[in-house]
Amino acid sequence: MEQRLLEIFNTVLQNRGKETRTKISLKSNLRDDIGFDSLDLAELTVRIEAEYDIDIFENGIVSTVGEIMDKLKTNNGTFSKRH
Amino acid sequence: MELFLRDIKDNTRFEWKELISDLKGTIDYNPYCKTDSYYGVFKHIIVSMMLGKELILLDSDFSNDELLKLTGYSQYASFTEPIPEGLLNVNDKTDLIEKLRNTSIDWKVTLFTSGTSGIPKKVTHNFNSITRFVKISERNAKDIWGFAYNPTHMAGLQVFFQALLNGNSIIRLFGLSPTEIRREIKANVITHISATPTFYRLLLPCEDTFHSILRITSGGEKFNERTMMQLTGIFPNAKITNVYASTEAGTLFASDNDIFSIKTEYEHLIRIENNELLIHNSLMGLSDLNISDWYYTGDLIEIINEKPLTFRFISRKNEMINTGGYKVNPHEVEEIVLTFSGIKNARVYSKSNSVLGNIICCDIVCDENLISEASFRSFLQSKIQEYKIPRIIRFVDELSTTRTGKVKRD
Repeated sequence: MEQRLLEIFNTVLQNRGKETRTKISLKSNLRDDIGFDSLDLAELTVRIEAEYDIDIFENGIVSTVGEIMDKLKTNNGTFSKRH
Repeated sequence: MELFLRDIKDNTRFEWKELISDLKGTIDYNPYCKTDSYYGVFKHIIVSMMLGKELILLDSDFSNDELLKLTGYSQYASFTEPIPEGLLNVNDKTDLIEKLRNTSIDWKVTLFTSGTSGIPKKVTHNFNSITRFVKISERNAKDIWGFAYNPTHMAGLQVFFQALLNGNSIIRLFGLSPTEIRREIKANVITHISATPTFYRLLLPCEDTFHSILRITSGGEKFNERTMMQLTGIFPNAKITNVYASTEAGTLFASDNDIFSIKTEYEHLIRIENNELLIHNSLMGLSDLNISDWYYTGDLIEIINEKPLTFRFISRKNEMINTGGYKVNPHEVEEIVLTFSGIKNARVYSKSNSVLGNIICCDIVCDENLISEASFRSFLQSKIQEYKIPRIIRFVDELSTTRTGKVKRD
């Protein structure tokens, strides 16, 4: 799960010509640590929604990787990956 | 010491005194302004006003192709001319502001806006049209502005003139991380912020409170109730105002919620036709938009009350996409996309998005040659501004079309 999230992060970073990451931790801050700006966060939410069917920012922007994981976990209690 | 501008992105800080001595030492002028330094843009505007000369503001991230298309040139050094001695001399801040408040009628500023039918359009304002809604008063003399816009765009100019003509301090917030923004608000005791809804959304959630903020202004989409409550929580002393503004006309209406009214003296200068808001050309800057007497804004409204007129904005009539406060014309992006070798057809459209309001997407039909997304993206980066580049690109076999054969956008 974390691995898949890292891949999505790297797709978004790559699309903007930003440096990719080799690992993320639950505490990583999306903006301060990963380096996402508003355009990146917008893309991130679309890519995560396409895979997990949940808009992670629907009720306000979340700040850390851990908060994204929580949102995905609480979505029906499982990781309901699409496809 | 009175602060003129603080910009932590550049790690610079300028007092009004330093600005004044910098003006004195300035020996030449170029009507084209293209720099990513906020101080550079602000000083350039001030110099042009003192000289009463036209200024053409270019976004610092315009590509050479965009510059050629917009201005006919991509290099501007040859336009530099010497400034006659003494023209930029002022005694002090009060003297400077007095001079700027009496800017010559010959002065004008030109900027570019996404046109509705292809390439961006040029819009020119004179001093009266661009400062029509600037409030100058003793009450505003101590305001400290959080500057949260691009300085070469209309919204940024409006904030700049409000701050400049009142002699206020400007603190750059645009392009900073939420942590830096919070730090700057506190460290500089910012009192006013004008920004896009996206800017405020990205500031949330926030456990801190900022008591110094007296007013926050936003434009475009309406905040939902939850966001509104969160904003009231972190800015407990702030009045929250919503404005309607456009590059062509500047700020026109302000409201405490999403219902707008218009001052009696301007009432005869707006008209409603088939629910679309029309603005009289006397409220507009000069532009090449072919305005006769009335300018069709493309904004559809719902009338709440006829007399006095109150209304609410419903949607856009044309296909301009509002993404994080930037207007993007899908046709302009499509034109560029289609110049990439190997692309047979393309459709640029928007999807609603919880961060930006709308996100730009693009469906692409390739010819028999395969193209890589990476090379296509780097091509777009060299051709158009970042915010216009589609974030979601899909390679498809064919574009969905409407029954009349037009490419469908939503």
